[in-house]
Amino acid sequence: MKRAIASSLLVLLLLVLIVPVGYAAEKKITFTIWTKESEAQGVLQEIVKLASDFAKSRPGLTFEVINYGVEDLRQNFQSAAFAGTGPDLLWTVSDHAGPFVAMKIIKPVDDLFGKDYLGGFARPGLEAVELDGKTWGVPISVGNHLMLMYNKKLIKTPPQNTDELIKIGKELTRDLNKDGKPDQYGLVYNLNEPFFFAPWLGGFGGWPLDGTKPTLGTQAMVDALQFVHDLKYVHKIVPLECDYDGADALFKEGKAAMLINGDWALAGYQTDEVKKKVDFAVARIPMVAKTGRWPSPMTSGIYFMLPEYLSGEKLEIAKEFVKYCTSSEVQLMFTKKYKRLPALASALNSPLVSADPILKGSADQMVVGKPMPTVSEMRAAWDAMRPNQEAVMADKMSAKDAATAMQNACEKLIREMAK
Amino acid sequence: MIPLTWDIVSHGLAESGRFLAIAVTGVVILEGLAYIVLHRLLKYKYALPAMLIIPAFVAVMALIIYPFGFNMYLAFSNMSMYRFKEFSVGLSYGLQNFLDVFRHPVLQNVTFFQLLWRTVCWTTVNVFFHVLGGLFLAILLNRPMRGKAVYRTLLVVPWAIPQVIAALAWKGEFHYQYGFANIMLQRLGLAPIRWLSDPRWAFIAVILVNIWLGIPFMMVIILGGLQSISSEYYDAAQIDGASGWQQFRSVTMPLLQPVLTPAVILGIVWTFNNFNVIYLITKGGPMEGTDILVTSLYKAVFEFYRYGFGAAYAAVIFIILLVFAAIYLRVTGGFKGAWE
Repeated sequence: MKRAIASSLLVLLLLVLIVPVGYAAEKKITFTIWTKESEAQGVLQEIVKLASDFAKSRPGLTFEVINYGVEDLRQNFQSAAFAGTGPDLLWTVSDHAGPFVAMKIIKPVDDLFGKDYLGGFARPGLEAVELDGKTWGVPISVGNHLMLMYNKKLIKTPPQNTDELIKIGKELTRDLNKDGKPDQYGLVYNLNEPFFFAPWLGGFGGWPLDGTKPTLGTQAMVDALQFVHDLKYVHKIVPLECDYDGADALFKEGKAAMLINGDWALAGYQTDEVKKKVDFAVARIPMVAKTGRWPSPMTSGIYFMLPEYLSGEKLEIAKEFVKYCTSSEVQLMFTKKYKRLPALASALNSPLVSADPILKGSADQMVVGKPMPTVSEMRAAWDAMRPNQEAVMADKMSAKDAATAMQNACEKLIREMAK
Repeated sequence: MIPLTWDIVSHGLAESGRFLAIAVTGVVILEGLAYIVLHRLLKYKYALPAMLIIPAFVAVMALIIYPFGFNMYLAFSNMSMYRFKEFSVGLSYGLQNFLDVFRHPVLQNVTFFQLLWRTVCWTTVNVFFHVLGGLFLAILLNRPMRGKAVYRTLLVVPWAIPQVIAALAWKGEFHYQYGFANIMLQRLGLAPIRWLSDPRWAFIAVILVNIWLGIPFMMVIILGGLQSISSEYYDAAQIDGASGWQQFRSVTMPLLQPVLTPAVILGIVWTFNNFNVIYLITKGGPMEGTDILVTSLYKAVFEFYRYGFGAAYAAVIFIILLVFAAIYLRVTGGFKGAWE
């Protein structure tokens, strides 16, 4: 019996030791941010620096900044929020707002930050995260849009319309080593990715959704699919296979005259290494000659989103940190260093943006862009488009059949999501 | 790059230390309680074996039984994007989820049975070549030769490289114009193949990568098995006049079976559920042409937000593997030695 008492006392002693250690640990606050920004472009390091500068005046506060790919961030946050735990702040893209709102795992920010504060941001930035009459994120930067990038060493003036694009593209798609295959291309981009197809769809007068209703089985879709198909098989100005990394590498190597890519990549084409082969410039994606419309890349941006479970001291820290990072000073630092368009209206109008030809070109493209639908049905539209777009680009399905298949698939997916 | 400072290292160590301390404290408390209850109070005859089993039992409960039970609970729910936190659970939801697995396309066009057939082909081809390649290399290595350790190390390289890096590197090698595969084909006077945009070739491409990745594991396991076979058996067979093939068939293969059976089962389960290679190289595309059961399950849950359906689908995949493993064990008698 004595032994039993001794053992019990030992267990109690251990507990007594553990509890104060845990209590002491609780006094310190670790604030966790999940961000889609990676180390590659230096933005993650910048966030870590911002966080540590912010924490300097707050004893006991430490930040943990964790990077996930865009999709991983969405999935991991969903899983974490389901368990009622996870990060204290999200630094992510606007299209996450749709599913997060449907799942009720983020907070609206209107009351937390007030009308006056949110009113300081450019309207398109806020519109991208407005749902059910509420705002679900605080904008960090706006844009996230595609544009035409070109190498002035190969092409002096960018094409103004698609007829010119094809003409110039044919001239610049060349077999330099005479092995029967081109090694320099007129145009490169991520051929099979629906996000990169969206500008063309807009240029032909279509759009994936009308409100929450899919509008994929349209003549505009047929024309747009036929156009991208012909760029590959009729005009032969794009490579037979080309994904994001392939396009990026060809352009950086000086083996592509034009590239369609997003504002997130702007800084990467202005490094000393790339400058040796690329004299970088930016323009609008050429107007669609058949319709007289400018292609409309999807615009969105990068946002702070606050988890629904955030409360108390951490909520206050989140609010202060968000205000700190969206100050004009910090926004312009991101603009200067990483060529991102600021979300604050005052910063967007600053000379720093208007005097920089690259940023000016980016802003000029954004003007003809269209906000990416935030509704959760957009997820179904992406997934309906992908395999059918792939089929057209593999020359295994006609544009007409693909458009019909996209519409049917999207309707089915929306039905299943709502089941 | 974020520099690796002492702060980061100490923070990492403190995190791991804290976790270890909690785990150790938990085990000590658990064992203490078990000792008091089982040994001192109940005077249970098997108190010590029970105490030895308890930590593993708790870990299995927490890491396998509870998640499995929770998956089954979700399979009988209508959890989806719109009912993420306020979902309902009921028999009718479960029935609908399980029926939906079989009666509608799981993805856009591909049905469960098409995916099952594709998964069976994927698994059979992969495991067949893993075993064949592994056996061939293991037999080559299991004989006296110079530089054996060097060969063995080199052959294990595909297994040692993180799958993510290997898969992404291979993705580049299947590029139509700049990839190694097409450059080699063209050097041989053959036409280049559109590996990543033609569904049939894309499926062959992912199979080739997975075969390359899987052979070293089988080779290591089989080599271990071969080294445990006493040379006396071969001496006896040679005295009896057995040929090399007869020795292989009647001595090597039967004596390898206790090693080969679990390795093959593991290989089949891993390959059947291999998500990384396919997802990293083709994401199941083009045109859903390389999706197998597990990648379509992932899409159903994480891209289409069909949580209830996804849980039912996961349960169906689990049952398929369970039935397979039971039949395989019965037919081969692979674990006989463990029971007898």
